[in-house]
Amino acid sequence: MENMANKVARIPNLVDWSTGEVRLMSAKCNSCGTYFFPKEHYQHRPGCSREGVEDVLLPQKGKLASYTIQYYPCPAPFKTEKKITPYGIGLVEFEDEKIQVTGIITETDLKSLKLGMEMETTILEMFTNEEKQQVVTWAFRAVK
Amino acid sequence: MRDVYIIGTGIHPWMGFSEKVFSDFAAVAVDGALKDANIEWKKIQAIMAGIFIYGGNAGHLSGQYLESIFGETGVPVVNVYNACATGSAAIRMAYNSVAAGETDTALAFGADVSPKGFLTAKSDNAVQDRDVIRWKMGGLPNPIYWALECRKRMEKYGTTEEDLALVKVLMSEYGSKNPDARFKKIYSLEEVLSSVYVCDPLRLYEICPVSTGAAAVIVTADKELISKAGKAVKINATTMGSAIYGDPTIRISALSCPAVAEAPMLSESYSASQQAYKKSGIGPEDIDVLELPDNSSWHYLVYLETCGFCKEGEADKMLRDGETRIGGKLAVNPSGGFSSHGEALSAQALWQVIECANQLRGRCGARQVEGAKIAMAQTYGLMGNSGTTILSV
Repeated sequence: MENMANKVARIPNLVDWSTGEVRLMSAKCNSCGTYFFPKEHYQHRPGCSREGVEDVLLPQKGKLASYTIQYYPCPAPFKTEKKITPYGIGLVEFEDEKIQVTGIITETDLKSLKLGMEMETTILEMFTNEEKQQVVTWAFRAVK
Repeated sequence: MRDVYIIGTGIHPWMGFSEKVFSDFAAVAVDGALKDANIEWKKIQAIMAGIFIYGGNAGHLSGQYLESIFGETGVPVVNVYNACATGSAAIRMAYNSVAAGETDTALAFGADVSPKGFLTAKSDNAVQDRDVIRWKMGGLPNPIYWALECRKRMEKYGTTEEDLALVKVLMSEYGSKNPDARFKKIYSLEEVLSSVYVCDPLRLYEICPVSTGAAAVIVTADKELISKAGKAVKINATTMGSAIYGDPTIRISALSCPAVAEAPMLSESYSASQQAYKKSGIGPEDIDVLELPDNSSWHYLVYLETCGFCKEGEADKMLRDGETRIGGKLAVNPSGGFSSHGEALSAQALWQVIECANQLRGRCGARQVEGAKIAMAQTYGLMGNSGTTILSV
């Protein structure tokens, strides 16, 4: 894993690296079995008692279910110090959790993208804040 | 419930950014609808207003702003927002008010001025508004959502880049014949295929921009007004749908979607259209004209399936075989669609209804679908909003 010292997520409660791996912060409803991302994006099955929702981390790796290459810069409030356009956006499937999550694709040759390929969760450095911390978002990259 | 008819419609032609205010555009559309219905303002007994989300206090109370222009009469004014299905909500409320006998004649309208530049987050509170996350961290403008679904479709059903381009070719041909459309240039397949990618596989000419426009519809059950109107159009059903658990579509603004489908794609539109079919007793096979929300070429294809005009994965063949052309089995978007108009959020659903009404009234000139008797307008709004309106003469 990359050096995560002095890094901070732009918005909290979405991406975690406390376990030594970068993983997405999800929640699972133990009544209806549905996983949520972000974890507050509740999407219970109708009729579910909504009891027993617990925070969980999604696996570090998943499979590419779809992708696109974005050719114009994402408007503000999106912000990166370095130019990232054109950038890939992936929809990565976590099979056991039955959820697909979007994320910017980084450190990957965009021409090599293929549906079904294995991807891993990582971070993308966006910019340096006033406290001299690297502000990051979650991202995906091809497993080498 | 009583039978309800459209007796008057009005449009302010679609255009790009304007320095004029939204209520000026609304007034043009409402004036047009009153003249078309041949009635006075005082006959309007309820105003169902689509709100203009970028208009601050005025935009959120668009009905009151409109009412004061024409003269305040004390009638119920309700302001509604359902994303790009806002106009569907407005006409549904107008219909329900009249059908239930609460009022005899009601107005539904929407007006939107295109924001300068790009659409983006409308708050800065990520805990309260998940939309903030997709903009601040996700890097996800709207067309990305469509591109992600489009790629899945290409993989699953073999949709080609030529299919996506052909949609624009057709829409541009029809848009060129529509005086109210914003874009009137006709494009060849080669021109579309050589336009730049916005988000691969979708190209610049295969997605719609934001526009300025206004639309107004007057509905009534008053027999005298119906007989006075030039060919009134019956509303057989006007419904709204929301999403269904297990819908696999990655919805605009969301950061995740189910990996295992337990409901149809675009389930909000499936729900709205199924309700309309059930309520009207009219099925897809009966419909002559369909106005669907072609926000992108992908939408054009998938909506034919979502609304039951063909089986899943068969829309491309319908398109290639010419079945969706004017003169084909089902005339799809004779108006030129969103591709030729762009989105004017609170007005677009009503504009779709008006195109359907105009087709049934035989008013569409060079883009007229000959002998059209039944038409359907279908909308799509982000985060699980949709409406269906079925009309007949």
